[in-house]
Parts: sequence; C-alpha cells; structure tokens
Amino acid sequence: MIASVAQIAPNINLYLLAPELSLVLLAMIVILVDLVVRRHMAVVGTALVGLAIPAGFTFALGATPHPTQAFFNMLLVDQYAIFFELLFLLIGVITILASYDYVVKEVKAVGEFYALLLLSVAGMMLMASTGELISIYISLELTSFPLYIMAGLLRHDDRSAEAAVKYVLLGAMSSAILLYGLALLYGLTGTTDLASVAATLRAGFRSNNLLLLLADVLIFAGFGFKISAVPFHMWAPDIYEGAPTPATAFFSVGSKAAGFAALIRIVIDAGLGGMSPTALVALVSFIAILTMTLGNVVAIVQTNVKRMMAYSSIGQAGYILVGFAASLVSGKPDGNSAVLFFLLVYVVTNLGAFAGIIALANATGRESIRDFQGMHWRNPLLALGTAICLLSLAGMPPMAGFLAKVYIFAAAWQQGLTWLVVIAVLNSAVSLVYYLRIVRMMYFSQPVKPGYFTASGSLSAALGISAIGVLVMTPLVGVLLAQAQPAANSLFSFLVH
Amino acid sequence: MSFLLTLIIFLPTAGALGVLLIPAKQVRAIRWFAAITAAVVFALTLILYFGAHNNFGDINHLNFVQHVPWINITVGSLAFKIDYFLGVDGLATTMVILNGLLSFLAVVGSWHIEARVKEYMALLLILETGVMGVFAAADLFLFFLFWEVELIPMFLLIGIWGGANREYAAWKFILYTLVGSAIMLAGILLLYFGVGVQTGVYTADMTYLANHFLQGSIPIGSLTVSLQLIAFFLTFFGFAVKIPMFPFHTWLPDAHTEAPTAVSVILAGVLLKMGAYGLLRIDVGFFPQAVHLFAPYLGVLAVINVLYGAGCSMIQSDIKKMIAYSSISHMGYVLLGVAGATAVVGASALTYRQAALTGAALQMFAHGTITGMLFFCVGVVYEKAHTRQIAEFSGIAARMPLAATAFSFAVFASLGLPALSGFVAEYLVFTGTFAVLPIDTGFAAFGIVLTAGYLLWMIKRVFYGPLNIRWNGLADINTVGEILPLAALMVVILLVGLWPGWFVDILQPSMTQLIHVINGVAMH
Repeated sequence: MIASVAQIAPNINLYLLAPELSLVLLAMIVILVDLVVRRHMAVVGTALVGLAIPAGFTFALGATPHPTQAFFNMLLVDQYAIFFELLFLLIGVITILASYDYVVKEVKAVGEFYALLLLSVAGMMLMASTGELISIYISLELTSFPLYIMAGLLRHDDRSAEAAVKYVLLGAMSSAILLYGLALLYGLTGTTDLASVAATLRAGFRSNNLLLLLADVLIFAGFGFKISAVPFHMWAPDIYEGAPTPATAFFSVGSKAAGFAALIRIVIDAGLGGMSPTALVALVSFIAILTMTLGNVVAIVQTNVKRMMAYSSIGQAGYILVGFAASLVSGKPDGNSAVLFFLLVYVVTNLGAFAGIIALANATGRESIRDFQGMHWRNPLLALGTAICLLSLAGMPPMAGFLAKVYIFAAAWQQGLTWLVVIAVLNSAVSLVYYLRIVRMMYFSQPVKPGYFTASGSLSAALGISAIGVLVMTPLVGVLLAQAQPAANSLFSFLVH
Repeated sequence: MSFLLTLIIFLPTAGALGVLLIPAKQVRAIRWFAAITAAVVFALTLILYFGAHNNFGDINHLNFVQHVPWINITVGSLAFKIDYFLGVDGLATTMVILNGLLSFLAVVGSWHIEARVKEYMALLLILETGVMGVFAAADLFLFFLFWEVELIPMFLLIGIWGGANREYAAWKFILYTLVGSAIMLAGILLLYFGVGVQTGVYTADMTYLANHFLQGSIPIGSLTVSLQLIAFFLTFFGFAVKIPMFPFHTWLPDAHTEAPTAVSVILAGVLLKMGAYGLLRIDVGFFPQAVHLFAPYLGVLAVINVLYGAGCSMIQSDIKKMIAYSSISHMGYVLLGVAGATAVVGASALTYRQAALTGAALQMFAHGTITGMLFFCVGVVYEKAHTRQIAEFSGIAARMPLAATAFSFAVFASLGLPALSGFVAEYLVFTGTFAVLPIDTGFAAFGIVLTAGYLLWMIKRVFYGPLNIRWNGLADINTVGEILPLAALMVVILLVGLWPGWFVDILQPSMTQLIHVINGVAMH
C-alpha cells in the first residue's frame, strides 16, 4: 500500500527529530573544522559548544507539549526518550571533557575521534526513541560502527587493533543474533511497529508460545552483548583494555545505557514482558545472578585497571538486570524507574572514575592498578575525586550509588525476588574489595615516583562534575526520581493506546 | 530548635571541609580549628540534655525532632519512602553526648600526630558525622545510611595512621562490618515491606515501626518461620559484628591494636555502641517476640563473651591488645542485660528486668568512657616508651606517677570499683539479670574476678616492682593533649559513679517503653 501525501504529511515532524539531526550536523562540522582549522582546541570547542544545540532542542521538547510520535511511530519522543537523550548528551559532554589531553597525546586523530563520538551519541539517542523494529536495528548499528572505529584509533598499538577487530566481529555477530530475533518477531506478528506487535500478541497468542520465547531469547542475547551481560561479556575486558581510554569510558556507559534503553523499550512496548512473564523473569534473574557474581568476583583478581573496570561494569549491569527483573514481575513501571535512576548515577560515576584513570594514564603512561600508589601525594584532589566515584560504584553512602542500589534492591524485594536481592547485596559487599583496593593504593602506599602531576583543566572539570554530581545527587534524589518516574511511566502510557 | 540535631550532625563535616581548606603546612591552625569545631559540637550535644528539661522521652516522644520528606515515590505497587527524620530520646541523648565528648577528646588527644594532620583531622570529623547520624536518625533507612558513612573514614584512619599491621587490620574491619551491614540491609527491607504489606503504610519511620510489629510467617522447607524472627536474625547479625559478639569478634583485637590511640578510643568508645544501640532500639524495640524467643541463647552468648574476652585478656602480652579483649568482655554485660530484660515477659520480675535493661544502657555509656580512658593511658605509655609489651616494663610508676595514677583509676573503674561508673552499670545488670537468668549471671559474675585479675596483674607488672633501669629517662604525662582527655574522662566516670540517679533518669523513659513493648509479647 502506498500512502498518499495527505497521509504522510502529518507524520513528518522534523522538529521531533531536531536533536538527532543537529547532532549529526555537528559531527560533520567538527570534521570540517578539523580539516580547515587543524587546531585541537578549536575542534573540541566546536564540539562542546555545539552540543548546546541538540541539548537545547531536547530541553525544549521536554518542557513543552508536543506530539509524541512521528514518521509512523518510528520516532517516539516520550519522556522516556527525552530522559535518555539528555543522559546521552551528558555522556557526550563529560567524555569530550575527559578526553582532551589523551586524544592529543595518544590518538592523534582529533576530528575523527570527536565526530565518531557525536555520531554514536546520535545513534544512542535514536535507540531510546524509536518504536519500530527496523529503526531500532538501524540506530543500533549507527551507535556501534563509530564505536568499532574508536576502539582501533590507537593506530600504532597492537592491542588497540586487536580490540577493534574483536569488537567488529563480535558486534556483527550479536547484531545478527538480534536481527534474527527481530525477524522472528516480525514473522510471528506481521508488523514491525512495536504497538502493533503488542496488539497482535495480545489478540492471538497464548503465553509461553515457543517461537515467541525463542525470539525473546535471541533479542536478549543480542542486547546482552551491548550491556555486557554474562555469557555475552567476553568481549568487554579485552576491548576495554585495548581501546583508547576515553573511548573505553564511552563504551562502558554509552553502549550499556543505550542497550538497556532499547531492550526495555522492546520488552515493554512490544508486550513481550506480558506474554510469558514467569519464564522471562527466571531467565533474567538467572542472567542477573551470573552477571553480578562473575563481574564482581573476577574483578578482584585483575591487575590492569581498565580490565578491572570492565568486570566492574559487568557487575553493575547485573544490578540493573535485577531492577529489570523486578519490572518484568510486576508488569508495572516501578522496577524501571529504579533502573533509569541507577543508569543516571552509574553514567556520572563511571565517567568520573574513568577521568581519574585517564589522568593517571596521561601522567604516567601506565594503567595498572599498582600505578595508583600514592596518587594522593601526587595530586590530592584528583585522588579524592577518583575515590569518591569508586566508592559510589561500590554503593557506599553518602554517594549517590548507595541510594541507586537501595532503590533497585527495594523494587526487586517488593516483587518477591528476595533471593535475588540477597545475592545482589552480598555481591555489593564483595565489590567493595576491588574498589577499595584502588583507594588503598592511592592513600596507604607511598608513591613510586615522587612529585606532583597536574591534570588539564578539562579533565579536572570532567572529574569535578562527576564527583560533585555523585555527592549532590544524594540530597537531590527526590527531584531526580520525580524525573525518572514519569519517564518510566510514559513507556506504559504508550502500551495503553 | 528543630535544626539542632542537623547542626550537631553536619557541623563536623563543615569543620572537615574547613580543615581541608587550610594549607597543610599550618599544622597548628588545623589542630586548633578541628579542636574548636569538635568542642562546639560537644557543647551543642549538651543542649540535648539541658534543653530537654528533664523530659527525655522515648521512641514515641522524641525530642528535637526534625522531619523533612526526602524521597517519597509511589510507582506501581512500589512505595519507596525515606524521610530526613531526626530525633532523640533518652537513650540516644546519652549516646550523642558520649560521641560528642569522645570525639572532642580524640581530637585533643591527637595533638602529637605529625603525619598528614590535615587528612587525619578531616577524617576524624567526618567519622563523627556518621556516628552522630546513627544515633540521631529516626528513619530506618537514614539510620542505615549513616551506619555505612562511618566505614570509610575508619578504614582510612586505621589503614594510614595505624601500627605495623595496619592494612590487614583495616581490611578485616571493613570486610566484617560490611558483610554484617549487607545482611542487616536485607533485614531492614524485610521489615519495611513486611510492615508495609501488613498495615498498608510503607514507611521506615521508627516511631511507626515501634508500634506496628512485623507479623506473619513463611514456610521454609517443612518449617514455618515467623518473619519477625528472620528479620531479627538478619539485623542482629549486623549488630553482633559491631558489638562485637562471639564468634564475630575477631576483627576487633586487630583493629583496636593497630589503630592510633585516638581512633581506638572512638572505635571502642562509640563505634561498638552503635551495635549495642541497634540491638536496643531496633531488635528489642521492633522485634520483641523474636528477642524474647532468642533471649535464653543470647544469655549464653553473653556469658561466653564475658568469660572468653576476659580469658583472652589474661594471656595478652601487649597492653593494648589486652584492653581490646577487655572490650569484648565488657560488651558481654550489655548482651547479658538485654537477655535478662527479655527472657521473661508479663509482670514477673518487672523491676529487675527494668534494672537489667537500664544497666545495659548505662554500661554502654560507662564502657565508652572507661575504655576510652584506658586507651588514652595506653597511648600515653606507648608514646613515651615506644613499646606496649608488658614484659619489657617494670616499676615505671617511679618515673610516671601521674600516668600510673590515671591508669590505675581507669583500671579500678573497669573492674567495677564502687563509686565509679562501671560499678553502677554492672551492679544493675547483675542484680537485674540474676532474678531472671540466675545460672548465666552466676557464670558471668566470674568475669568481674577475671577482670580484676588481668588488669591489676598488668598494673603490677608495668608500674610497680623494681624499676627497670632502661626506663630511667622516661618522662611523665606533660602535655595538655595528654592531660585533658584523662582528666575529663576521670571527672565523667566519677560523676556517673557518684550520682547514677541523674543518669538513670535520662534513660528511664526509653527503658520503660522498651520493657512495655516486651511485655506486650505476652498478649499476642
């Protein structure tokens, strides 16, 4: 059926797409500036100042009433989407600030690095705001391709090349698996629109349909790679270790948050969660337990800090899955608002911790945990900021990581996932061992090399924003949750009509 | 004055930030700034006493309440509510004042610290914030939040400024406490949601939980176990690690021995009391049936604590380790008092049980001051002699008459000499508990004999006998940083010992309420 112009016109709404469009344009401009001006400062300045435009559009969309869908439901700009779009823009800003020195010193491909980063952010924003299977897949690829290249940007480093190749191969495989799942879903329902999928499923399928479960499993497996859930986590340590450190910081938060954004959208808005809840909850809980435990236990024995952070981010994905499992049980938004809040805190905290690691790498050129020795003497504020972020990851109050975790655990407990919570709580205790080990290195041991080292202003700003953010989010948690809650609710309002 | 408790809690943090702003070279300024902050906080805690006008209240009648909604969201079926809710009753008032006093004295007693003074003082003040928050919180989640806040400063204080084996001790401390508090969190969640489902009101408000007990039971295998019992065991585990109760005590000797003097004082003086406070406020207050069921076993554990701690003290060759083990022994009296107060219910032995519970609460304060003084004494001796091995000393009273006097005074207080605070507390515990658990009390009473044995024997070996010529040049107590803590604690110990009624009056309403709750068990 070919739609007439009269049908199409109301569905085209470029204003709703403005954040992503302006971001892609910005990426082009950044490349041009790099070609013409060839000064690092100018490139970074363009990228940072330019980010105000998509951010402004997103804020405007969030603050004013607007139609929530356009392009035949391919674009869904509800509060859920706006929450994630702002989150991804925040990731972009902090990553750019944190990567300034490192990119000059190690990467030497300035324009490419920032343009790829911006394109990937645009992909992530689309991942959170599409309601259609094909566009989810396309935006996933738009997110991933720049990441593959960024992993290999250290052109003279074998490990970086290895990381890029591994990332491409495994990423392609996971995309294929995901596509298989989406194709099955399309084959079963005859539509790619999430709302229609949900309606068809509700009308004509019984719970525990085997093919539908297979589609679920394939979709989970595909996204499991993005969120580094066990057993699809193998790529993370190698690629985290090999990639340029700012890129690693970006993968560890961006890829994960986008993966969760799309996964939650599909499961809830396509009505997958409602079809065979018991089986899905069992599956997700099992994966959550494996992911938390493996991540946290293996992180303890790491000697390279980037590998440690890789396993730490696997462990953190496990906690998020606990909240996701809770929302599957209830079929209501409670678990999801906990997940959204946790993601927000995790993003800020993890970027802060990585800023500390980048500062260390800039100063010493090394990335082993032992190199953190006596960091307190060499730059006390940097050590303090890093310590605050690491302790927040471990869930120590008064840092925001504590409340984020408690909220997730409470949501899961409320849904009767008691054992899952007990395992998560114990995991959280275990995780303190490896986070504290770095704190111990920084404060207890004498430095290997004496003498101050300084971090650049932008890197300090990145770390400062994160560390202060982690501290002020605790008293402001009421306000933030008030934002996360309608975002989580909006997913369900979509389901209703 | 609703913000008084907020001021008491966060003034130390503000002081810590102030300390961090002073350049590291200005060591004198840093010390004075920290000391003045701690002194002001201590003065503010005294307002809790004088401002209460002899109406100290219980959990249902808190003083100096500040209640601000903080997190309140209802999404789907999940209601998640945490309030910034502060308030103190008599029990909490004593603990807040104890923390104010000991934190101030710890700052003064750390005057001799030369390494990284800035960070040291800042951490000591942040630690004070955490502990104040635990005692002043009237919301269960807030309580837990502050409970965790205290961990990291303590970890760093032991790990950076401690003795030779400091890293091991710091790790052991934090891992034990953390596993304890992780399990405690599970108990708190169970309580929160259990009561929420039961009454339809989801709240961690302690005043609500003190009047709406967790009911119901769940099947585990072929058994049916009451939810209250499970929640009790989960939270009690966290407190038992902190108190510390045998067999979860092994972190304590290491942490106390390795920590610098003033940190040992805080550790033994107030951190252990957090566990005991949780036992009274949360376990006895919110899980009366479970505590009542567990009381006979708690009595036995208390006896083991008392005798095992004393036995271990007996064989120590290091003075500080001996004092550390004596803490385990003395915290056993708190457990014994709680066991005695809860072992029977209804009208039987009512006065005795109230006495036992009051004794337990009083012992918390008394032990805080006495053990604080003992650690200060050990610190002084170590500072001058650079060793703590009993066998290396002999007759140093000839060179350190003031130290010998102070040390002997603290030892007398610790072994329960009448007219000193330890006697009052132990007397109340023993008389009260004897009426209910005579056999346990009979065994525990040997603890007093053992305490007298190891402490007096240590005093004899260290201070008396012929003077070892190695110590000919030993200096006596001579700085304000050494004299002030000892003198202040001496005064407090005498004050409580000579005039216990004054102190018992503060605790009375809280204890009456707890006994009332326990008696309510009979009616269910």
